[in-house]
Amino acid sequence: MTSIDTSAAPRPWRRRAWAGRLFVAPNLAAVTVFLLFPLGFSLYMSFQQWDVFNPPKFVGLKNFRELFTSDPLFLIAIRNTAIFTLGTVAPTVLISLVVAGVLNQKLKGIGIVRTIVFLPLAISSVVMAVVWQFVFNTDNGLLNIMLGWIGVSPIPWLVDPQWAMFSLCVVSVWRAVPFAAVILLAAMQGVPETVYEAAKIDGAGGIRQFVSITVPLIRGAVTFVVVISIIHAFQAFDMVYVLNGANGGPETATYVLGIMLFQHAFSFLEFGYASALAWVMFAILLVLTVLQLRLSRQRSMEAASGLG
Amino acid sequence: MASVEILFKRSVFRAVLIYTALLAIACFWLFPIAWAVSGSLKSGGEISEPILFPAHPRWSNYTEVFTLMPFWRMFFNTVFYAGCITAGQVFFCSLAGYAFARLQFRGRDTLFVLYLGTLMVPLTVTVIPQFIIMRVLGWTDTPWAMIVPGLFGGAFGTYLMRQFFSTLPTDLEEAATLDGCTPWQIYWRILLPHARPAVAVLAVLTWVGVWNDFLWPLVMIQRNSLATLTLGLVRMRGEYVARWPLIMAMSMLIMLPLVIIYVIAQRSFVRGIAVTGLNG
Repeated sequence: MTSIDTSAAPRPWRRRAWAGRLFVAPNLAAVTVFLLFPLGFSLYMSFQQWDVFNPPKFVGLKNFRELFTSDPLFLIAIRNTAIFTLGTVAPTVLISLVVAGVLNQKLKGIGIVRTIVFLPLAISSVVMAVVWQFVFNTDNGLLNIMLGWIGVSPIPWLVDPQWAMFSLCVVSVWRAVPFAAVILLAAMQGVPETVYEAAKIDGAGGIRQFVSITVPLIRGAVTFVVVISIIHAFQAFDMVYVLNGANGGPETATYVLGIMLFQHAFSFLEFGYASALAWVMFAILLVLTVLQLRLSRQRSMEAASGLG
Repeated sequence: MASVEILFKRSVFRAVLIYTALLAIACFWLFPIAWAVSGSLKSGGEISEPILFPAHPRWSNYTEVFTLMPFWRMFFNTVFYAGCITAGQVFFCSLAGYAFARLQFRGRDTLFVLYLGTLMVPLTVTVIPQFIIMRVLGWTDTPWAMIVPGLFGGAFGTYLMRQFFSTLPTDLEEAATLDGCTPWQIYWRILLPHARPAVAVLAVLTWVGVWNDFLWPLVMIQRNSLATLTLGLVRMRGEYVARWPLIMAMSMLIMLPLVIIYVIAQRSFVRGIAVTGLNG
């Protein structure tokens, strides 16, 4: 197509090329300054020792070595992040599959329920964290009032280190399910009706159909939800900061990597050390994502060969 | 007859099961919000009572929010930041998206692959250098820090718009080119008006993203007169510890504009998330 354009009218073609460069230019400038440059600069900083007040000093791999060998909080943060990611992603995927399955029914009033379930998508995690703090409140929170009705004594949801991580996971799942359900529901709506007809003739019930037809057919969307949820959970910050405090308390119960990064960067102003931590997080995320995609591809290939 | 009866019973059973599930799901997601609304209308003493509808709703909690903190100032700030960034994103991303989809120039496809690559880069890695850039420019604690980084577009919006423009048929533009329209005229008069669904998705996602953003204002803004609503909420919570009715009233006030947008633009909203997998 372009070759015809060139031979017939060389000038408009050239003008279009210039217009193309011009139209991309401001956007490219923004991406360069606020994304590409920071990416390189952050890597550079991870090899420096730098607070804002003194000039940066090259220290080689010292930041990384310190992180892995002599910072006990890093190990705690890694452990907490792993627990939080598992405790959020697994329930989120399972619950959102069920929720999307129920919301996919053609029933009266389903639109209202969809509107309600998707409502948290519009609300910031900061506001939701504050609201849940109110719900979790030990002395007069809703949860403990309701537990009181069945004779359970109040649980210090956010105050006790043993419960804090659990509470954080509950809120994160509550917040993440609507998002995951939107994606899964869209995928389910893409499954053609005809697929179910054979199953209906065979007398398979709704739940059977869901487990053995719907879920395998939307495997791609499920993988996507798993990957995105891991990426979100792994970098959690807003929710933890507001629900459990700037230090990921009580004690170190919810001290996750996002909190650690924020502390070192913006409270201690250790930009070099914080950048090294950021790159370790980035590397772990990349490995997790690639592994997950590999695994799901392998699984779908096995499934395909099993069918054949 | 008997088999029909069994079938009927089974379908009734199934309907009851599904409606129970629906009710449980709706309650689980609505209840914390309903409880917060109820809490925002209670007096300090009623807070610990398990009542959803307080007998005498205290609307004065809301007016007290306005007197205790510069709510309208923060509201205006947030609207201003979100408005500028949304307008900038829509304009510059659709312009670049059009170029990536339709205008041939050398290096275009390589550049687009680079754009795709940057979508992978997490905020974790870029936020510290961005903070330093703002410091060097002397923009910390100014509106510039809130607006400029998002104003000229970004990789995600460009990708979204490019994908949309690629699906549009080319015949309109070809006719316009033959009529002597410049690329700008084609973009402004033909493609942009046709891109309304994609623009709506990008605008809603951007607006909500800025409105709900927390980390960036937290590290950038000290002055209360420049703060956003989420930042204001967290600061107010620190100042008025355990005055739950007040804090809930403020939370509800922050939520309300987005709930209204959500109800109006639910379709763009949900489609945006389903298509992009992104949620601010």
